[in-house]
Amino acid sequence: MRKKFSGKRKSRKNNKHKNMRGFLWILPSFLGVMVFYLLPYADVVRRSFLGAVDNRFVGIDNYKTVLGNTAFQLAVKNTLLFTLLCIPVLIIVALFCAVTLYKSKYGGIIKSAFLMPMALPAVSVALVWRLLFHSQGLLNHWLSNLNIAGNDWMNNGSAFWILFVSYIWKNLGYDIVLWMAGLAGISSNIYEAARVDGAGERQCFFYITLPNLKSSLYTITVLSFLNSFKVFREAYLVAGDYPHESIYMMQHLFNNWFRQFSFDKMAAAAVLESVVLLTLIMLLQRAWDNKA
Amino acid sequence: MKYGKWKRALGTLLAAILICVSFAGCSKGGDGKDSSGDNQGKETQPAGEQAVGRFLEEELDTGIVFGKIYDVRKLEDGSLRIVGADRDNGNAGVWESSDAGKTWKNIYNLPAEVQSSSYLHLAALSPSGQIVCAVDKYISGEPHSVLYLVDKEGKANEMSFELPEMEGEGGPTVSKPMEERNIVLDLQFPGDNWVMLEDIYGKVYQINSSDSSVKYTYDFTVGEMAAGFPMYAVGDTLLKQDGTQVLCYDMQTGEQESSEEVLGQNDLQNGFFSAIDTLDGGESIYCLSKGGVYYYKFGGSVMEQLIDGSMNSLGVPSSALTALAMIDERNLLVAAESKDSSSETRACILKYTYSADTPAKLEKELKVFSLYDNSEIRQSISLFKKEHTDVQVNYQVALSEDNGMNVSDVLKALTTEIMAGNGPDLLILDGMPVETYIEKGVLKDLSALLKESGGNYFENILNTYQDAQGQMCAVPARFWIPMIQAGSKYFEPGEDFNAFMERKDTMVNMDPKMVVEKFWYTCGAAWQKEDKTLDESKITEFLTKLKNAYGEYDPNVESDNSMTMTLEGGGMTELTNKSFFVGNIKLLSGDWNTNFGLYGELYYGIQEMVNEALENGNIDLMPGQADHVFVPAMVLGISSRSAQPELAEAFVKYLFSQEAQQILQYGGFPVEKESFRSAIDGHQYGDPDRDMGGGFSDSNGREYLYSHKPTPEEEITRMTELAESLETRALQDDVIKEVVMEQGEKVLKGELSPEEATGAIIQKVNIYLVE
Repeated sequence: MRKKFSGKRKSRKNNKHKNMRGFLWILPSFLGVMVFYLLPYADVVRRSFLGAVDNRFVGIDNYKTVLGNTAFQLAVKNTLLFTLLCIPVLIIVALFCAVTLYKSKYGGIIKSAFLMPMALPAVSVALVWRLLFHSQGLLNHWLSNLNIAGNDWMNNGSAFWILFVSYIWKNLGYDIVLWMAGLAGISSNIYEAARVDGAGERQCFFYITLPNLKSSLYTITVLSFLNSFKVFREAYLVAGDYPHESIYMMQHLFNNWFRQFSFDKMAAAAVLESVVLLTLIMLLQRAWDNKA
Repeated sequence: MKYGKWKRALGTLLAAILICVSFAGCSKGGDGKDSSGDNQGKETQPAGEQAVGRFLEEELDTGIVFGKIYDVRKLEDGSLRIVGADRDNGNAGVWESSDAGKTWKNIYNLPAEVQSSSYLHLAALSPSGQIVCAVDKYISGEPHSVLYLVDKEGKANEMSFELPEMEGEGGPTVSKPMEERNIVLDLQFPGDNWVMLEDIYGKVYQINSSDSSVKYTYDFTVGEMAAGFPMYAVGDTLLKQDGTQVLCYDMQTGEQESSEEVLGQNDLQNGFFSAIDTLDGGESIYCLSKGGVYYYKFGGSVMEQLIDGSMNSLGVPSSALTALAMIDERNLLVAAESKDSSSETRACILKYTYSADTPAKLEKELKVFSLYDNSEIRQSISLFKKEHTDVQVNYQVALSEDNGMNVSDVLKALTTEIMAGNGPDLLILDGMPVETYIEKGVLKDLSALLKESGGNYFENILNTYQDAQGQMCAVPARFWIPMIQAGSKYFEPGEDFNAFMERKDTMVNMDPKMVVEKFWYTCGAAWQKEDKTLDESKITEFLTKLKNAYGEYDPNVESDNSMTMTLEGGGMTELTNKSFFVGNIKLLSGDWNTNFGLYGELYYGIQEMVNEALENGNIDLMPGQADHVFVPAMVLGISSRSAQPELAEAFVKYLFSQEAQQILQYGGFPVEKESFRSAIDGHQYGDPDRDMGGGFSDSNGREYLYSHKPTPEEEITRMTELAESLETRALQDDVIKEVVMEQGEKVLKGELSPEEATGAIIQKVNIYLVE
């Protein structure tokens, strides 16, 4: 008995020691996250209850102001709409391309071509975009040659769809690479066994490929979601602080609030946004964990 | 495992080295050397101690008020001489000091032939004390440039050199005089043997002073970059700026030597050098410019700044620097001309003496920030520094052609700086979102400060940003009045917006964007509703009526109607489209039927000339949807996070003093009433013996001449009453203005209907307004 007891104590001590070592290993990065993310975030939460410049306590007034602000509502609406439309389309198109390329013997080369848009600087993209879609730009010029009336593309509802296509074009290659990595992880033995049992291409895709790509889907969804926020760069470079209302995103609002010293509203909106994002990501993770 | 210990030890060592190197990189270099490159004669100081050693400025009491100083020089015998003209009686003479400038005595006046019945244009001293004078004389009714050589005792002899007229088709490279004759542009007397003369055609003549023969002619006429740029003669070297470098010529041989690129680039960066002097026969030189005094050894790779012009009177925008005399390495004299409060030109001698125990940097720093360059602020800073010698005022202009930033970028950077505690102390709020800044508590209340100053101001303008509690966080120091000038066919005084817009041909040949911008001021103020959103119906009405009055767009109209004006002291400023002044020529030439815009300076002679040229010409408030509109200018606000609030308050107080208010550099009327009167009464043109005037020439070459004259009392009263009647502050929001101008231009060009444009304006602006 005594021997057994001392053995347990020893293993507990070992576990403690191991845990301590583990903690020490993650300590540097944890410190980084703490200093650069958690502490600033805590300060943002603190500021969301204070005045903009004078720092007096205002309770939840900033939250009320932000939630009642029509610019905030418009930005949230546009950001949500953009995300809800873009992400499913991007994921599906990328999956289709990835599967096709995976089967092709030239897949590797074509995959690199899809990655090209990611290598282009946002400023160059914006310049080309401006050249194309300006009211006196190339697109209108080509249309006029075909006797079709032009349009001020960036100052009407079409601005949203231009942004949409731009996002898909730019992120497609990245998602294809991620899907292809997922596809490479599926053992060819499973397909061979299925084919021996008489399964066709469609059945292989739905019953082997898709179920095995579930873990990749979570990563791709989260990354696409985060990348969707970067589309602001192009929108800002082309249309400035105040673009057409259909592409007025959260980042436009934050950008303009910063310029106007509205740190109170910025802090409250940032807290709201982070809570929503965190909740969405947690829900997504949970749903995946449950399915797994 | 065998090498595990060694690997760990090596890793630890490398990490320790890395940390040490990082810390060493963060520390300041402790060698005590001044890294800025200045100064000759500057003492080095131990690490951690304040750098010491600076040239101190004093204005010499010469016992005379000079109207002009032609030259100052240290002679070979060690005495100092000034060639200047007494402001009171206009007599030109020579003053000498044998005690390094402490006392001066008049040794002779220039002979009658040099100054009576002629105009002494230029004069230069030689090292021995001879003077060469360029005099404009009327001979047989024709003006001629004549050179005189005045010896050390003051006896004048006419030189037989005749300034050649240009042959062939080559034209003047600097500016074409009305008489179309050659004149002397610059004159220098580097040694007793040679006089260097530059004419307006870009030729430099090296003239023998004893027999007036031309030894060499240096030709910088058409085709040479150097034409029109300044020349400097020092020792045996002729220096000529060519836009990128300084060309050097040996005056003994007339041959070009290797050019001085470093000298040329510094010359351009600091504004052209006004004067150059040497202490070692031309081996090295001292150069004077508004940026300060610089030392350069020929063949060197850097120029050393000995004196920083921003820390003293050298950088005053309204002053002109005319001569430099090096007494020794630690003492020098500078001749400067400026206009005093009576607007009479006054020249003085500034002495700079090196003080080894004075801190190199000034103790206090005041940071002033504006989006656009403001000449009045620049000049006020210089004058303020005279009273506050321990204060360094750093004036930061955010928008320039060099940095390529836009207003939004600048404002974001400003926000960061203010919130980080490194922001400016004083903000010139023109073009910034003033009301947002007030609302957010970015600006301090100035009401007590203004009460304390007790000046007599246009209260209607001064109090324009006053809130319900009486707080004034932003205060305009100047203002513009939107006005219109036209014949009775196109405008009647007192006419309202609707009546004016029904007239035809009032805006022919005008650029659509400019028209929208000018009417923005008088109409935009009427668009904002109480909840700060814009009234859609009023914008539609504005665009509809403006389009009807404007008529069909002519693609050939000129879009650039800006104009460059010379400021006092030689600086230049560009008057933009919105300025009223620019339209005078267009109105006179008949290109335009009306001239309207922002009125911020009154020259009665010009105003009268234009009115007389028009049929029943008149000038009055510009019609608009809002009445009695004014545009605040030089709007001042002190940052609530200012590090030097007392200093900022002292400067604001100074900006509202009469001395600062009476500075006029095309930046709007002063808000102080006495200064306003002084700005419009034309008192400087009151001397009947001095005919002051000028002229314009239009694109067809037609000339319009005017004489400046004092403004009649009834006109002064009318303008004062107009200023007092102003009650509506123009909507000053650059975001809305940009959108309105963009859409309004499309309406006037016929690309959009007024309703469509209004929709676009409302859509964009409403997001901005509800943010």
